[in-house]
Amino acid sequence: MALLEVQDLHTRFRTDDGIVKAVSGVTFELDRGQTLGVVGESGSGKSVTFLTVMGLVDPRLAEMTGSVRFDGEEILGRTSTQLRSVRGKRIGMIFQDPMTSLNPVKRIGWQLEEAVLIHNDVPRREARRRAIEVLEEVEIPRADARIDDYAHQFSGGMRQRVMIAMALINQPELLIADEPTTALDVTTQAQILRLIGKLQQEHGMAVVMITHDLGVVAELANDVVVMYGGRIVESAQVDDLFEKPEMPYTWGLLGSMPRVDADVERLEQIPGQPPSLLRPPPGCSFNPRCPYVFDRCRTELPELRPAEGKSDHEFRCHLDDGDRARIWTQKQAAMAGESAA
Amino acid sequence: MSEQLVVDDPEKYLLVVEGLEKYFPVTRGLVFQKEVAQVKAVDGVNFTLEAGQTLGVVGESGCGKSTMARCIARLLEPTGGKIIFDGRDITHLSTQEMRPIRREMMMVFQDPYASLNARKRVGAIIGEPLEVHDIGTAADRKRRVQELLEIVGLNPEHYNRFPHEFSGGQRQRIGIARALSINPKLIICDEPVSALDVSVQAQILNLLKDLQRDFDLTYVFIAHDLNVVRHVSDRVMVMYLGKPVETGSGKELYALPKHPYTGALLSAVPIADPKLGRARKQIVLEGDVPSPINPPTACRFHPRCPRFVDGKCNVDEPELIQVAGEKDHDYACHFPLERWPMGDDELRHEGAFAREAPAQEAAPAASFD
Repeated sequence: MALLEVQDLHTRFRTDDGIVKAVSGVTFELDRGQTLGVVGESGSGKSVTFLTVMGLVDPRLAEMTGSVRFDGEEILGRTSTQLRSVRGKRIGMIFQDPMTSLNPVKRIGWQLEEAVLIHNDVPRREARRRAIEVLEEVEIPRADARIDDYAHQFSGGMRQRVMIAMALINQPELLIADEPTTALDVTTQAQILRLIGKLQQEHGMAVVMITHDLGVVAELANDVVVMYGGRIVESAQVDDLFEKPEMPYTWGLLGSMPRVDADVERLEQIPGQPPSLLRPPPGCSFNPRCPYVFDRCRTELPELRPAEGKSDHEFRCHLDDGDRARIWTQKQAAMAGESAA
Repeated sequence: MSEQLVVDDPEKYLLVVEGLEKYFPVTRGLVFQKEVAQVKAVDGVNFTLEAGQTLGVVGESGCGKSTMARCIARLLEPTGGKIIFDGRDITHLSTQEMRPIRREMMMVFQDPYASLNARKRVGAIIGEPLEVHDIGTAADRKRRVQELLEIVGLNPEHYNRFPHEFSGGQRQRIGIARALSINPKLIICDEPVSALDVSVQAQILNLLKDLQRDFDLTYVFIAHDLNVVRHVSDRVMVMYLGKPVETGSGKELYALPKHPYTGALLSAVPIADPKLGRARKQIVLEGDVPSPINPPTACRFHPRCPRFVDGKCNVDEPELIQVAGEKDHDYACHFPLERWPMGDDELRHEGAFAREAPAQEAAPAASFD
């Protein structure tokens, strides 16, 4: 049985302007010890999907349907009190901005101890010991002294380590990381990614890595889902996705990354903006920005279908197999084309 | 800086920076402020930039790249050195004297959410430089603003909207339109795409390139991501703790980096190719950039360097020297990388020995105090 099973998840926000369909029919599974990369632009619904999974969307503002099973148990629709045994204990979460996620007027030691005390019946002394231990585990030097510092006394990368420590302190089975390295320098990003990978191996955690950067996914994930306009548009094992992506949006994402290993005169860009989730375009939600659009795309939403010969590689696109293979071969050549090295 | 740097023909360059230094005082006491230390944010930067070219500046947070940009734009007064813009020494000009020069250089900032006035309409934001410099009539200005909106790929009818009605990428376009409004010669871009999604990043980078071609612009382009810089720059300067450690034309520097720090930055960037990513060798630097109040002795990179040699790197400061056989590629290192991509032997130079635990711990610790 998979650790996390999400079935046909929908999240619709009621706003003054109408209903915002932030998540529309998302389905995926995550096994223990695996890493799932979730890729998409701002507004693709990737964060809302996991806020819904965690029960962090206010049910007074949104309508949520579908099913979220964690370790076989349905957790969608549970109240905060009912979720307490799961959230923060069996599922840990890291957010993008470590400065706003930490309390600026409490010492970080106090915040870490609180996370222990809420879930375990132990004396504060024991909680503190555990806090120092976990700070050492995330490689914060002189953890026993640093534990009495405030968030502002840490650098950005160190703050993100504190956030990771807090998420890990109860040894969760699942870690959800929402853009954990987006605000950081590349060198610090490399440190944090290596750390998450190391901790995952040691603890056998499952990890969900939410990001807009395909490079981060390539580095860390086993499986990848690409989200666009609140839907999954492509999902595959990481090697398959990078070797032969099947969906024009994924091609665009890959082409728009500046690369160190190739010299390209002009980056490919995906024109326009992500779709409005208030009034999504009819048919395929990518059709207004897709260079290969034809009539069918404008009226009919493509269903997820498996790629040729790969049952675990699914995508949404009306283009037939021959056309897609041809286009991808051309793209590959264009991306590596002028690589002088 | 008393010694003169040899700039063969100052007329040839739009911007010449010589021995630029910016020190911030660290003071103690409320009434009688006593200077107890100095933050050497920029400590000896030299470069020249021809019109129509782009200089990319790369480094981690805290390496002084933004301070350098602010000195060049004279938002800060340099402590030492010289800035020659368009043949004129602007290092110590007064605010009044800077005025006409401000028409020639503009800045684009990192955060498109914070750098646009939320209570002004887009038309007013973009037209403000025109107003400040008293160019044209109100009608002229409006026409110019609408033209600018079109140039940067926005709808001219959005003239009356507020910044919050735009996405991050569109806001950065507004910032660029504002920078273009008075036809500057030089635009200093301080991390213009760091806050944006990858797909939007590509749009903005392409836009900046197109504008350079169409309007003959010169850029100083600051970023922490070497990928991004490579894409737009003719020359790249890698900075560490206020000093350049390697400079070169884009191609040479990326094909065969010499300084281990450049190697570390290059290898830190995630590659969008899982097989290649797993196969390559990565230098993961420990800790953060040390405090510029009390920088490490000699080579400032030595506490984090994988090729550190005791008795040399921490005693003798390396000068910038030219790579043999390549003009315009300089590095400051005693034990430069010899091969790229590097192997295990590159990571540990012969004669170098792995630092014992105390040295390694002492180094990052310094940055927390």
